[in-house]
Parts: sequence; C-alpha cells; structure tokens
Amino acid sequence: MFPIDSQWNISFAGCGFLGIYHIGVASCLLEQAPFLVKNARHIYGASAGALTATALVTGVCLGETGASFFEVAKEARKRFLGPMHPSFNLVKIVRLMLRRTLPAECHHQANGRLGISLTRVTDGENVLVSHFNNKEELIQACICSAYIPVYCGFIPPTLQGVRYVDGGISDNLPLYELKNTITVSPFSGESDICPRDTSTNIHELRFTNTSIQFTLTNLYRVSRALFPPDPMVMKAMCKQGYKDALHFLERNGLLHFNKLHRGPALHVSGEQKQAGGEEEDEEKREAEDKSQVEEKAVMVVDTSSLDEHIIEYLPPALHKALVEACMERKSLVQSLSNLLPVRMASAMMLPYTLPLESAMSLTLRLLEWLPDVQEDVGWIRDQTLKILHHILSRASKSVSRHVSARLFCHLELHHYRSLPSKSSSTSLFPSWVNESSPSVQDVFVRLEQYKKQLLSGVFCINMDLQGSFKAGDLSPDNTTRKDFPALGDRSKPLTRSQSFW
Amino acid sequence: MDSSTTAAPMTSDCETESSSDFSWWPSWRPTSMSLLKAAESKILARIQNNLWARFVKLPNQDRIWTLTLTNKTVHKPAEEPPKTPLVMVHGFGGGVGLWVRNLDGLSRSRPVHAFDLLGFGRSSRPHFPSDAAKAEEQFVDSIERWRQSVGLESMILLGHSLGGYLATSYAIQYPSRVSHLILVDPWGFPERPKAENQESQGTEAVKTFRPPRWVKVIAGIVSFFNPLAVIRAAGPWGPGLVNRFRPDFRRKFEDLFDDDTMTQYIYHCNAQTPSGEVGFRAMSESLGWAKRPMLQRVHLLPPSMPVTMLYGAVSWVDSSSGDKAAEIRGKAHTRVMLIDDASHHVYADQPETFNKVVENICNSVD
Repeated sequence: MFPIDSQWNISFAGCGFLGIYHIGVASCLLEQAPFLVKNARHIYGASAGALTATALVTGVCLGETGASFFEVAKEARKRFLGPMHPSFNLVKIVRLMLRRTLPAECHHQANGRLGISLTRVTDGENVLVSHFNNKEELIQACICSAYIPVYCGFIPPTLQGVRYVDGGISDNLPLYELKNTITVSPFSGESDICPRDTSTNIHELRFTNTSIQFTLTNLYRVSRALFPPDPMVMKAMCKQGYKDALHFLERNGLLHFNKLHRGPALHVSGEQKQAGGEEEDEEKREAEDKSQVEEKAVMVVDTSSLDEHIIEYLPPALHKALVEACMERKSLVQSLSNLLPVRMASAMMLPYTLPLESAMSLTLRLLEWLPDVQEDVGWIRDQTLKILHHILSRASKSVSRHVSARLFCHLELHHYRSLPSKSSSTSLFPSWVNESSPSVQDVFVRLEQYKKQLLSGVFCINMDLQGSFKAGDLSPDNTTRKDFPALGDRSKPLTRSQSFW
Repeated sequence: MDSSTTAAPMTSDCETESSSDFSWWPSWRPTSMSLLKAAESKILARIQNNLWARFVKLPNQDRIWTLTLTNKTVHKPAEEPPKTPLVMVHGFGGGVGLWVRNLDGLSRSRPVHAFDLLGFGRSSRPHFPSDAAKAEEQFVDSIERWRQSVGLESMILLGHSLGGYLATSYAIQYPSRVSHLILVDPWGFPERPKAENQESQGTEAVKTFRPPRWVKVIAGIVSFFNPLAVIRAAGPWGPGLVNRFRPDFRRKFEDLFDDDTMTQYIYHCNAQTPSGEVGFRAMSESLGWAKRPMLQRVHLLPPSMPVTMLYGAVSWVDSSSGDKAAEIRGKAHTRVMLIDDASHHVYADQPETFNKVVENICNSVD
C-alpha cells in the first residue's frame, strides 16, 4: 500500500520519443487520482520525462502535449534518414512547441515543485533544477534536459550561464531511491509504473538509475527511443501507459480513493469546524471506512472489466489527438510517397538531394545561430584550450616519469661503477658499458643537470638522450649545442601548460 | 558431521582451479579465486554469530563452499530436540555473500546453512551438459550429495530466483528431506506464452509487443553466448561495468559497506570460468524462459508439503505464477506473500521484514 499520509514525489524517466508513454500515464493519474498529482510534493523528470513533468505541473492540457509529441515524431519520420537528416532540428521544434503550449506565468507554478534533471558539461555531475525566473528559463531547462549530445548537435545549450546536456546521462530517474517516489518508466523493469512484459529474464540493467530488464520488447523500445516509431505504435504505447498507471492505482488501492476519500473527508472537516461534535465525526469515519472496504471489494471484482474499457477512459483531447495522428497517415500524398517505387526513387536520389538539403539547412542553422555565435565560439575556444592543456600536461608528466626512471637506473649504474670492486662490474655488464663509460657517464651527468634546470622541459631531454646516443662519438659539448634550438622550439607550449598548472 | 567436512584449514581454500595450460598468459580479466575469497571475507566479517565456513567435498570430487551459522549466546538444554536447519540457496550470478543481511537474524533460533551452488561463487565449476533436464539433474544432484555430506536429515529449504527453481525441483525429487519449501521470487515458473494466445487487445496492442525481426535476430545471436559473457569479455573494464549497470547492489548494502565491496564480490563471482551459467543457459530459452517450466510440475510436489512463495511487490517477477501454483496445489498448503517496497532481491531490500517472515515460517515447522 502506498503511504498516502506522508509526502510523495513523482519521477518520470527519460526515454526520448517513448515519452508518449508518460503522456498516457499522466492522463490516467490526472483522471483517476488527481489528488496524487495535485498534492505531490515534487514532480521530477529527465529528458522527455521533463516535458511531461512540466506539462503536469503547469496544468497544460495533456491532449495538446500528446499532439505535440506526435507532431515531432512525424516531423522526424518525414525524411529518409529520419531524425538523422540534417534538416531535422529537434531543439528548434521542441522550443517552438513549448513556447506555444506553455502559459506565460508557468514558472510560478513550476518553481519549487518541478525538478528537471540536467547533466553539467564541465564535470558530468547531475543537477536538479527547480527554480525558474521566467517562462524562457523553464523552456531552456527542458531543452537542456533533452539535449542528447551529437544527436541534437555539438554545442550544449546554456541555462543560467552554465552549459548542460541531457539529464539522462547522469540520472535518468531523479530521486528514484526514495521510497515515496512514484517512478514512471516506459521500459519494463522494477519501476512503479512500467509495462510488465511477460518474461522471466534474470538479467536486468540499470541505465543511470532506470531499471531495464533484458527482454526483446525492451530492446525494441530502446531502439525506438531516438528513432520514433509508427504513430500507431506510439498510440499503443500511450494506451499502455494509461493501462499501467491504472494497474498501479489499483494495486495500491488508490483508484476510488479520490472520489471516496477526498469528498467526504473535506465534508467532515467542514462540519467539524461548524459543530465541533467529535462523536459524530467518529461515526462518520467508521461509516466511511466501511464503505471504502466495500468499494474496494467491488473494485477487485471489477478489475478485469476495467481493463477493457481503458480506451474509452482516455481523455477526449488526447484521444482526438491520437486518432488524428493515426488518420493522417492515410492521406493520399502520404500513401503515395509510401509506395515502394517512390521510396526506392527517393532513396536513389539521396546522394543528390542530401547535399542540397544539408547545405540549405546548414545555412538556415547558421543564420539562427548568429545571436549566440560569440558566446558559443568563446566556449569552444575555452574547451579546446582546456583539452590541449590536459593532453600536454599528461604527456609531459608521463614522459618525465619515464625519463627520470631511466636516468635513475643509469645513475645507479654509474655509482655502482665507481665502487672499488671493479672486477665484478666488468663481469656483470656487457663490455660496451665499461669501455664507453666515461662518455656515457658524462652525458648522463649533464642530462641530470639539464633536468634540474628545466623541470618542465623534460620532454626535450628525452630527445637529447636519443640524439646523443645516435651521435655516438660526438662530444657532449656538441650534443648540447645541437639540442638547444630544439629546446627553444618547444618552450612555448610548455610554458603555457606551466601557467595552466 | 561427516568426516570429509572437517574444518579444512583456511589457507588451503584458495587453490585456484584456473591454473590451466595458459596460466603464464597475462590475465585479461582482473579476477581469481583468491580475489573472490578476499571480497567474500570482507563481507562475511560483518557476521556476528558463530560462522563455520568450509568446502564440503562431494563424492564426485566437486567442492561446495558452505557456511554454517549457529547462535553464539543461547545454549539450549540438551533434552530439547535440535531444530530443523534452514538451508538457503542463492540465485543466478550470486553467492553466499548476498545473504549477509539475513544470516545473523535467521540463525538466532536455529542453525542456518548457506552454500554456493555448483558452478557459482567459490564452489567447483564443472562442465554442465547442454540438455535442460540433465543440467537440472546435475544441480539437484549436487544439492542432494551436499546434504548427505553435511549430514542433514531434513531441512527448511529456501531458494531465491534460480535457487527457487532448483529448490522446487529438489523438493519434487526428495520430498522427504524438505519440511518446508520457501521460494523467494522464484525463476522459471510460468510457461512461455504461445504467440497466438496473446490477449485479445486489438491488433494495435499486439503490434507493439511483437518486436520486429531484427530484434529477434539480435536475440538469437545473444543466446549463443553465456548470459554474463559481456563482463568477462570486458576484461579490465568488467568491474566498472558491474558498477555502472548494477549500482543497485551497492545501494542495497550501503549501510554495511560504503565502498564497492558488493559489486566487487559480484564481479568476481561471475568473471571466472562460466559453469553454472552454462547450466542456466541449458535450462533457459529465448532470453529467460525456462525450458521446463515449474508450473507444469508443481503438482508433483506432495500435497502435504507446506510451500510459501515470497514476492517483492515491485519485482519484475510476476507474482501471478505464485497464485497459479497455489491454485494447482490447493490453497491449504501453499501461501503466496507480497513484500512491499522490495525488488527482485527481496532479502536485501527489506531484510527486517524478510527475516521476520522467514523466521515465522521456520517457527511453524518446529
């Protein structure tokens, strides 16, 4: 039994285009147990779940949200390469939809109640944003949470001056660990509301907190998360969401809780204020409990029949959107373009049309990008510099370790040589070590000196060492002279890395 | 106790069986029996009651890693008859270490035995036949031989997941040895639904749940491999994979270990030469269905044998198969219980509730 007397949260998992499942779940919760949504302390979401969570918190019509989902999916399916086609701009479409559907003062409702899971680019940590200054910020948070790198683009969007990407990368199901969080996930697994596949697979994965069972259907679902399925399949998913949510309410005895508990309870408290009669109140409660028990018994019997009427239970707006989405496919143009020869032709033409379309969309994107160019370019420069510094510092560190180990080894040898027992050393080491020892020793001693002088410049010393060995009979003086120009060449990046440290 | 089980010195425990012809080859997987032993001993250090851990040698030279727990403090009067011991069988890919939160609580009133199944954990890893019935036979045989070697007359048999399946199979074959059968989220009960008898939900609903062909092809390819081949193939990245994809294990035992002891243990249990896994693969088909589902056989259990089935409320294992089993066997001696807020690993998610329920069941025996 769900602990209804304490506080609870709802958390929607990120799932890309399977987000339509969340719409089904949300509409069921709103319809069958509105108190569960209204009194929820927080509603969390990641990626597509964030969109549904936003819709729930701001009280936007779910039918409209569902229709938007369909629209995006259809837009993605329109072209040959689907969402990978260069002219499909997911971010732009989602932003437009959000601007259109969300009310102007939505951030007031969202503040403190809505939690959107984001991944900070700089350190990969998860951030739950729940404070929004205006509508634009709320929209931007949703965009950030759905921004899958590479799939959506290469330059992560900013929110309140910080770069974020898809929340699913760090935490796909925010606060799933709390016992009082109702978790919703379109992948069958161990979430509170999720499809129950009839499988007994033992293997289960946790993708950043979302439990995903290893089944055939889940494999299919995962593949469909980024490449939207047929509208018919999406419709079925939406219904599945409604059904699973209904099952959840049923299991926890929350289904008729609303009508039964909420109504009389308010009534009672109102009367209590007026009359203050405690006995009466007690009696009423008892009666209420009884009726609740009876109702439950009836409900348990009725569960099977409930299942079959789910489709009729879908809210009218959503139902309409679903039907429309599925109807449109059958229009003449669509069916024509779906014919095999036409599809073949378009596939054959792809090498010619694709560059054109890409160029078009690229220019369009560049134009749209213009306002942000300065900021983004600055960010890119910073990032590349950071990466370069990191690589350089790593390389110089490993090289210095390598060289100093070698030097140490050779110096040991040198000390050993200077010990009185010369005979043992000659027998232990190959003859060239002993014969050429003065010059080799000299080189090493000098190298050690260089190393001390140029702590960060050890990278060059390695070159020196190689050079001096190749030079063979050259005197140490010669080698040093030869090497200094090389040193000068490399000093520039190295000093830079030093300043970075 | 049998003479063959007398305390083997702990130092000789970790004679590795992996010393094959390629032992000179640098190991791709950072695992070994001794690493598993180290991880396990870290876990077992948390147990407070008297713990006796040793290998039990079976007549066919297989060794079964066994823990026996007895209560330290209470000394029963001699005239009282000894209580029926509780025997715990872990699930797929697990080991005795997973019971760490239950062993102490359950051994308060009676001796508790827990062992690594043949081919899992620290037990021997023999070759398993690829035939479902034969593989099951080998598992069940090992349990019976283990019982003989340990010298138990009867026991309360508790099995989790795959262990539940094997425990049921054992109880069917050796009913006189089992005084109560406890199945915790057992695997392999339901039959695989035929494609045509899907619920009549309209054509669309069926369409979603009929995965396209390429998914089946992938599944077909996957089923050629052992279930956990990935973490072995990943070599040095294997422990990281376990940490990344099963963070729940770490979280379940967070109050006992604040590092990744548990995931390490699970990694070392499964990164070794696959053996029990091969047996499991032989018994299952198409991603997890049992080839010989238990619901077809539960009627073979003696009707008088009490059976309790515990399910986690949010587990992916469907408790409806428990109800079906109860229907088949008759409700008199079969009970199905749901444990709230518990996933598949009921015993680790809700240890207190689990221990209490199991203790009550045990007390109903004697």
